[in-house]
Amino acid sequence: MTGLLVKNAYVIDPLSGVNGEIMDIAIRDGKIVEEVGSGAVVIDAGGCLTLPGGIDSHSHVCGTKVNFGRYMSPEDMRAGRTARKGVMHVTSGYSVPTTFGNSYRYSSMGYTTVLEGAMAPLEARHTHEEFTATPHQDMLANTLFDGNWSIMEAVRDKDVKRAAAVVAWTLAAVKGFAIKLTNPGGTEAWGWGEDVHSIRDEVPHFGVTPAEIIETMIQANELLNLPHSVHIHCNNLGVPGNYQTTLDTIGLAPDLNRERQSLYLTHVQFHSYGGSTWKDICSKSEEVARAVNARPQVAIDMGQIMFGRTTTMTADGPMEFKLYMLHHNKWSNHDVELETGSGIIPVYYSRKSLVNCVMWAIGLELALLTKNPWQCMLATDNPNGAPFVKYPEIIALLMSRKLREYEMKAIDPRTEHFVPLFAIDRELDWYEIAVMTRAAQAKALGITRIGKGHLAPGAEADIAIYPLKPDELDPAVDYQQVMAGFAKTSYTIKRGRVVARDGEVIVEGANSTIWTRAEVPPEFDLNKDPEFVKKFEQYYTVRMRNYPVQDIYLPRGVSIRTEASL
Amino acid sequence: MRVILKTRPRAKPKIPIEAETIIPQNFLRKNDIRVYEGNKERKLEDLFYVTTEGPAVSPDQVEVILTGDTGVIKRVGEYMNAGRIIVEGDIGMHCGNFMSAGEIIIRGNADSWLGREMRGGVIRCEGDAGHYCAAGYRGEKRGMRGGMVEVLGNAGDFAAEYLSGGEVHIHGNCADLPGVEMRGGTLTIGGDCLRPCGNMTGGTCRIFGTAHQFLPTFRRNGSEVAEYGGKRYRMAVYRGDIANRGKGTVLIRE
Amino acid sequence: MKVEDVVCPFCGCLCDDLVVEVENNRVTSVENGCTLANEKLMEDHRLKNPIRRERGSWKDVSYDAAIQETAEILLDADRPLLYGWSGTHGEAQSVGVHLAELLGAVIDNTSTVCHGPSILAIQEVGHPGCTLGQVKNRADVIVYWGANPIDAHPRHMSRYTTYADGFFVKDAFKERKVIVIDVRKTESSAVANEFVKVDQGGDYAVLSALRAIVRGKGDLIPVKVAGVTREQLFRVADICKNAKFGAIFFGLGLTMSPGKNKNIRNAIELTEELNRHTKFTISPMRGHWNVYGSNEVFTWISGYPYAVDFARGIAFYNPGETTSVDILRRGECDACLVVASDPGAHFPRACAEHLARIPTVQIDPHVNATTHLATLQIPVAVTGIDAEGTAYRMDGVPIRTRKLYEGTYPSDLEILGKIYARVKEAKGS
Repeated sequence: MTGLLVKNAYVIDPLSGVNGEIMDIAIRDGKIVEEVGSGAVVIDAGGCLTLPGGIDSHSHVCGTKVNFGRYMSPEDMRAGRTARKGVMHVTSGYSVPTTFGNSYRYSSMGYTTVLEGAMAPLEARHTHEEFTATPHQDMLANTLFDGNWSIMEAVRDKDVKRAAAVVAWTLAAVKGFAIKLTNPGGTEAWGWGEDVHSIRDEVPHFGVTPAEIIETMIQANELLNLPHSVHIHCNNLGVPGNYQTTLDTIGLAPDLNRERQSLYLTHVQFHSYGGSTWKDICSKSEEVARAVNARPQVAIDMGQIMFGRTTTMTADGPMEFKLYMLHHNKWSNHDVELETGSGIIPVYYSRKSLVNCVMWAIGLELALLTKNPWQCMLATDNPNGAPFVKYPEIIALLMSRKLREYEMKAIDPRTEHFVPLFAIDRELDWYEIAVMTRAAQAKALGITRIGKGHLAPGAEADIAIYPLKPDELDPAVDYQQVMAGFAKTSYTIKRGRVVARDGEVIVEGANSTIWTRAEVPPEFDLNKDPEFVKKFEQYYTVRMRNYPVQDIYLPRGVSIRTEASL
Repeated sequence: MRVILKTRPRAKPKIPIEAETIIPQNFLRKNDIRVYEGNKERKLEDLFYVTTEGPAVSPDQVEVILTGDTGVIKRVGEYMNAGRIIVEGDIGMHCGNFMSAGEIIIRGNADSWLGREMRGGVIRCEGDAGHYCAAGYRGEKRGMRGGMVEVLGNAGDFAAEYLSGGEVHIHGNCADLPGVEMRGGTLTIGGDCLRPCGNMTGGTCRIFGTAHQFLPTFRRNGSEVAEYGGKRYRMAVYRGDIANRGKGTVLIRE
Repeated sequence: MKVEDVVCPFCGCLCDDLVVEVENNRVTSVENGCTLANEKLMEDHRLKNPIRRERGSWKDVSYDAAIQETAEILLDADRPLLYGWSGTHGEAQSVGVHLAELLGAVIDNTSTVCHGPSILAIQEVGHPGCTLGQVKNRADVIVYWGANPIDAHPRHMSRYTTYADGFFVKDAFKERKVIVIDVRKTESSAVANEFVKVDQGGDYAVLSALRAIVRGKGDLIPVKVAGVTREQLFRVADICKNAKFGAIFFGLGLTMSPGKNKNIRNAIELTEELNRHTKFTISPMRGHWNVYGSNEVFTWISGYPYAVDFARGIAFYNPGETTSVDILRRGECDACLVVASDPGAHFPRACAEHLARIPTVQIDPHVNATTHLATLQIPVAVTGIDAEGTAYRMDGVPIRTRKLYEGTYPSDLEILGKIYARVKEAKGS
């Protein structure tokens, strides 16, 4: 293979310490190399912004609940339909596009790696099937443990090693990447139509609290030396006054890992509300950001909402029911035996709704008040806050106070009394955006070690070249260009191949699925644990032998092996 | 301007024609109009004899007349916003969907989804209408929001489903569940119907024939007099559907 | 040879605990299976090779010739229909959808004649459901509405509901209340604690009445609603409201009786109402073992669970218009590919007659009613016996079926893959 040479690139590669240098990038066999021969195909970047491929560290794109979002929403499907064209398959959908729709739209925005935010282990095979139909991004799956009976029993017995063994067995069985806790304890309570309301509430029957689950799982995660930290969707999502729960949760996080955070809190916008009802809801972004600034052991993502129509979907079943009682539109719920739950409802975020305006402001505030961009990632909890196609607009809002002022004039004028956004002048720069959309994600997920999120020799050649010339643009003023530029790359390069050009995908994709295999000593292998096997056969409705996801579902699986310290 | 479209004989006459391009404004510019026959794109002239008479400077001066084997032509008048379409015979599904202004007259019968999600304008069908006349789209919260659909004959199941605004008038009978999920607007049924207004949350339905199997979840709320066809009738008034947060009104001739 | 943990390719229960004995490429015995499973797994009458109808009689043809001819028939058509899919694995269904988009065809699955109305209802109001293990471990009230599981899903009661002991329900038979609601007595109603007999076509009114009672508006309810007494309605509402965890399962008795999708919608809204008082779920009793898989696969590729029309390039969905029965009844389609189902046996007569008029190709292991309408039939391996792949249980749990022996027949996936390749080549894309 003769290789590929990207010339005259304006490179920002935060993990390599490169900030706006004009340089060439050589690529061979899917990797970045020091140099390529004269026979290499040349792409002239013409001084345009060139970044490592985008990484979404929290998005809902594949699996049972996402597909149910499509299934129940023909009105959303008809909102974004394209015909088959070249190598591109038919796509449908706006907020919950078909798998190819997601893949093409991410690719044309320069995203090459996406983490699915919530996979129920019992239904993992479904997620993996959709991963293979999302061909232009390497995929990873957060694996749900929030209501896992074996975990809660281990927590009750104060047996961290047992919890670690359950995690290791499950991740290997379902080819999952990391530990996800969605409303820990709350999804089990929802099995009885109940919920937990603080991290100290007891989970019915199991006699454990969310705090105990969280603390045990953080310890177990580090015992297994997993690449990512525990990834948490806090209790009380969307409830006025919930910022206290969020602060309490942040307070639980010890500093256990030198390379990354020990706790990742997702879609924090939905967890930063003051007040006590929908009438007096206000922003507590300052308190939350202060806690994050004081604790390098936590990282967050924004969970920004954007105005318009979307679909909310989460493993947090009880929260979705509360939301349904507000909206009275349609509601789906899907509890998963011994493991977790999920819910889906369509929503419309309106500039006329004060609550929605407050939510909108909080997301931006979190990004602007978190001092270290490595601790706050740009995401919308796609599609909960907004479909990911809104990312360019969010980037523009963060880079331009002028654009924010323009928007603040269009929203409910009372918003100003409930949020600090109007007083914030900070404008993020290109480097900070590069951190918040790929480098921080790679670091937080622990995947720099497999060559993600940077452009140093040896890295995966996942590259996005945007039609933006940072030397000639003032993002504070030229926000329209910023938005347009981040919406469509000139080139998206995936593993050394140009996959998208000017917003069109030009080759068939061939992604990888990245999962984690933690090697445990034989006495912690649950396949040989009679108690575990017996309970499995008694309470699950699937035989233990039919539960693991077979290798055939990961045609290009990449496993990160770790040695557990058990 | 008057445009006459007469269907040409086709080798496979039952394959539907999709012709959302047949709206008055498209005939102002003498553009190349395309329609679909199954999965094949065709020129309008391949499927129709096209005759144009007189001038027009705006779409409201355009009248399109469809004749021949028109019962398999779908989506005529979709998104129409001015002018007039006259169908001499039957018309296929989705006639006048999303229409916002103008007028469609159908001399024969209309197939299902006549005037679906209509916003404004007038549709008059002199024959019968199929199922889901003046209804909504699957999964969408609101159906027809404005305008008027009038059917001189009968309508099939689910007439005015999800009606949210505007007026639907069926002179004849309606089959099962007319006005189901209704949230606004007015539905008038001249004849009989079956299980009207299930799950309604708003709007008004007037029934001048017999309402068979009227649901047990409507609350009687006195009587009033209504005028219909120049005569005055005493009507029983009901509020419902109580199974839902029902704030709809049903009037049934006593 | 003994094979354990075998997945049964018959009904939507997708039982995965069968033990099967295999000798000389034949299943010789089945343990744990119901009679339907035994029949399906032990059945041994396969069509030997592809056959083609020539002047009224069948001629053997090669696989290659049959595949070529299928591709040509589909390419020649202006409105091809690809129907069936519920009896094959997801990987083959996926090729089917891509074939449809390439051809500009309509693709539809057997939901069209079973739970299509349930899907329409879910699209209006959503679906509060759960996996079957959730019911097994927690439910103290079970409602079967318009369903006769003993007949159609013989192990549903023993694996998941009436007789299935679970974590919180140690002695299911004693601790669980079972309510059966139907228009007639059935084997299932015989084992119920409460049988509610509804007049034919009266389900909608009964559901509305129950919703009103649960909402506290029961004063309005007359002495009888569609044959059910006011007392019984109140009693049923009471049992449901006082349940710790209730689960409704409904069948074709509700989806295919007058009101159709609106019956299901009403039942779902009753379930939502009950969730304001306690925990309640509702689930359709899906028929074919992988009909739910066809809905899933169609959805992630096209956006819609069934009845998808690609004639205009984009995916268009409108049951009643793009559903197979409607397309056939109107005589629209000019070629049909039937995969893994038997419309000849299940469709109305007018539809079957149209299938006989047009070139119809069937990919199926067996001679069935559709064979008599077809111009060409290509036999394949049976998924779950000599082919494997993904299936989705009625509650959405995906399970990989097992291949019990290495047979000689190609799988649906191989045949469809070849047809797809020919069509793609002809289209030059």
